[in-house]
Amino acid sequence: MLPYASSSGSKAVPRHHASGYSNGYPRGNTFEISPHRFQPRGAAPPFRRRKGLFLRLAIALVSLLLFGLFVWPGDSGSFSWLGSGSEDFQLETVRYYDLSNVQGTAKGWEREERILICVPLRDAEVHMPMFFGHLLNLTYPHHLIDLAFLVSDSKDNTLAVLERELTAIQASTDPSKHFGEISIIEKDFGQKVNQDVESRHGFAAQASRRKLMAQARNWLLSAALRPYHSWVYWRDVDVETAPTTILEDLMRHNKDVIVPNVWRPLPDWLGGEQPYDLNSWAESETALALADTLDEDAVIVEGYAEYATWRPHLAYLRDPYGDPDMEMEIDGVGGVSILAKAKVFRYGVHFPAFSFEKHAETEAFGKMSRRMGFSVVGLPHYTIWHLYEPSVDDIKHMEQMEQERLAREKEEKEKAMKEQKMKESFGDATGQWEKDKNEIQNLAMQENKKAEEQPAAGQQGGPADGPANAAPKEEKKEGTQ
Amino acid sequence: MARPLGPVRLKRTSPGTIAVGIVLVIVILYLLVSPSAPDFSAARKATAALHPLSPPTSPFRKSSAVGGKAGPPPVTRYNLNNVTITNDPVGNRENVLVLTPMARFYQEYWDNLLKLSYPHELITLGFILPKTKEGNAATIELQKQIAKIQKHGLEKERFKSIIILRQDFDPPIPSQDESERHKMANQKARRAAMAKARNSLLFTTLGPDTSWVLWLDADIIETPPTLIQDLASHSKPLTVPNCFQRFYNAEKKAMDERPYDFNNWQDSPTAQELASKMGKDDILLEGYADMATYRALMAYMYEAGADIHTEVPLDGVGGTALLVKAEVHRDGAMFPAFPFYHLIETEGFAKMAKRLGWQATGLPNYKVYHYNE
Repeated sequence: MLPYASSSGSKAVPRHHASGYSNGYPRGNTFEISPHRFQPRGAAPPFRRRKGLFLRLAIALVSLLLFGLFVWPGDSGSFSWLGSGSEDFQLETVRYYDLSNVQGTAKGWEREERILICVPLRDAEVHMPMFFGHLLNLTYPHHLIDLAFLVSDSKDNTLAVLERELTAIQASTDPSKHFGEISIIEKDFGQKVNQDVESRHGFAAQASRRKLMAQARNWLLSAALRPYHSWVYWRDVDVETAPTTILEDLMRHNKDVIVPNVWRPLPDWLGGEQPYDLNSWAESETALALADTLDEDAVIVEGYAEYATWRPHLAYLRDPYGDPDMEMEIDGVGGVSILAKAKVFRYGVHFPAFSFEKHAETEAFGKMSRRMGFSVVGLPHYTIWHLYEPSVDDIKHMEQMEQERLAREKEEKEKAMKEQKMKESFGDATGQWEKDKNEIQNLAMQENKKAEEQPAAGQQGGPADGPANAAPKEEKKEGTQ
Repeated sequence: MARPLGPVRLKRTSPGTIAVGIVLVIVILYLLVSPSAPDFSAARKATAALHPLSPPTSPFRKSSAVGGKAGPPPVTRYNLNNVTITNDPVGNRENVLVLTPMARFYQEYWDNLLKLSYPHELITLGFILPKTKEGNAATIELQKQIAKIQKHGLEKERFKSIIILRQDFDPPIPSQDESERHKMANQKARRAAMAKARNSLLFTTLGPDTSWVLWLDADIIETPPTLIQDLASHSKPLTVPNCFQRFYNAEKKAMDERPYDFNNWQDSPTAQELASKMGKDDILLEGYADMATYRALMAYMYEAGADIHTEVPLDGVGGTALLVKAEVHRDGAMFPAFPFYHLIETEGFAKMAKRLGWQATGLPNYKVYHYNE
């Protein structure tokens, strides 16, 4: 309807002025200048004026194009933004970060603080499903979590499984599941030390093993730490049980370095549970004195009779009903689950792959943090549970137990069989006995008949008992033969 | 001046207004289009990261997603077994990270940096500046120079990527003046802060692709353009050229040069004895008369006209110019901000590298020049 209305309107304009101003000029009163009157413009002059404007605009556009060609010579793509050009992209080569914005605070999740989770891996394929279960259940906002994995000297399928699982997470339709930056780093150190439980925990292998582990951790961190990280969380892949809120729980304490207590469940015959991570401890006079006697490259390791340090261990101070927020100052830390402010690593603290104050790896990390004046804290009553992997002794013991169990079972089976057979034999015997009894009764009846002829009653029971008692013995003999 | 009303009111637009309009349109269009100005070749674009959350040593794609909402970052694999560190870094396309703690911006430093002949598409620059008045001024100047190169420079002049960091702690000494800076009493606090700055810069920028790290102080104003290739050709874990300073010699009435960096040294029994008597938190310093260490200083080993590739083993190094294999830093060798064997910062770094099995090498006849205030 609108176009018609406007066209009728436009018709009305000439009609309205037809009387006086048909050609745009007043007919009568030629010399009367009437400035107070509205003087409509004709159709032509504005157009003529705009023609000039259009001309100028055209000139401007052309000059702009020329200017553009001058500024971006030989660049066909620079105007592609005018079209869709979704394939084309620009590069950003300069990044600016203010490190005072990434100090790490008690409520990182509210302040959008990014956290880097570092996971060193070797031959860890079997632990993957469990680990990803934990990862996906973390309550810290996933988009603030960056993941970095170091896969070193792996002979199994760790790498492929890892990549598949992570790609699946990032491709998920639920955006709340998506993590931030994910890096999988491969680096082989030519590790000679076996990763099985016994060689891993043998005393002689400890120093070099710890140094290699430290090296791996440093490679991972130095490749993955970014200027936008406020926190770094180290997590072993073989943690079996941990609260899903662990990041927030540890962060709330607002300490530079903080670790929970690490225990492991045990089979009942070993007592049900046991302290696992003995690397979180407070320094003792004995240990310091011991350190002074050792040579430069020696590494003190905890939990071995060779080095009696008498240190208070975080693990042994656990009270299952204690306050989980209780803090304890420590000097050495274990590496199963460490939350640290990123600035600790930025300022240069790392996992010494050499003997630092007679320690290596995570324990030396704790020592170096203290040396730099950072707070290092353990939570004795906040416990996470490491996977139980039986040691060689345990396996031997278990084999022995298994054998014992098998022997016992065999014995029981045999016993049961004997009983069965015995029962069967008894069954036969009763049958026999019944038969015998009947026969005897028949005989007795016949004899009774005879006795009726010759009166001698009361001899019935005697002969009946005799064969019944004898029968099992005979049967047993048959059974054993 | 009173003008009659009426037709005059419908004055024609003056040419001036149109000119202003055209200029405005051009400016607006220019601002719209200008982000596309860094036009990189396909080869460079291929090495770019897909997401802003990525190693800072590579450029990243500006969000090109339709609707502006980018997806989650991809899962990225980095094989560090393939990061080579050889004596032919150009031939093997090895990435170099040039790190500079900067308190003042020197134009001569920047000009010298641009002259480096190592392929710029393999160089990442990293800067860390304090959040002081001086630092702010230096940042502004630096950003100006960077924009000039990265936005409007020729492609071969543009660096692979550039990272600017601002320190999260205050410098212990307010002034950067040379006299104040070199006071012995101030040394420990100053060098501890310097160590923290170096480590902050190093560990947040190293990333997974770097082969070499070149430490180049902001006051190094003259080096051979082939600095990186020359130092890397030795293929040593740590390589240090000899740092000199040009000055006007009033006696000779001519320009002259003198040794500048005394932190490159070989240890001496005297120094070790001094150290053994020190408390745990004391540090040994070089170049101060009241602490004579009798160490052999590389600064004095320079022989005019001798082979520039002469090597000497070193126990302590300075940070004015220093090429380090990335694997040394990856193993954990950093700049101790605390007394480490009574050494701190770069000297402590040489010691820590040694504890990890990496030996420092000095080139006494290969000279670089320090700014003279």
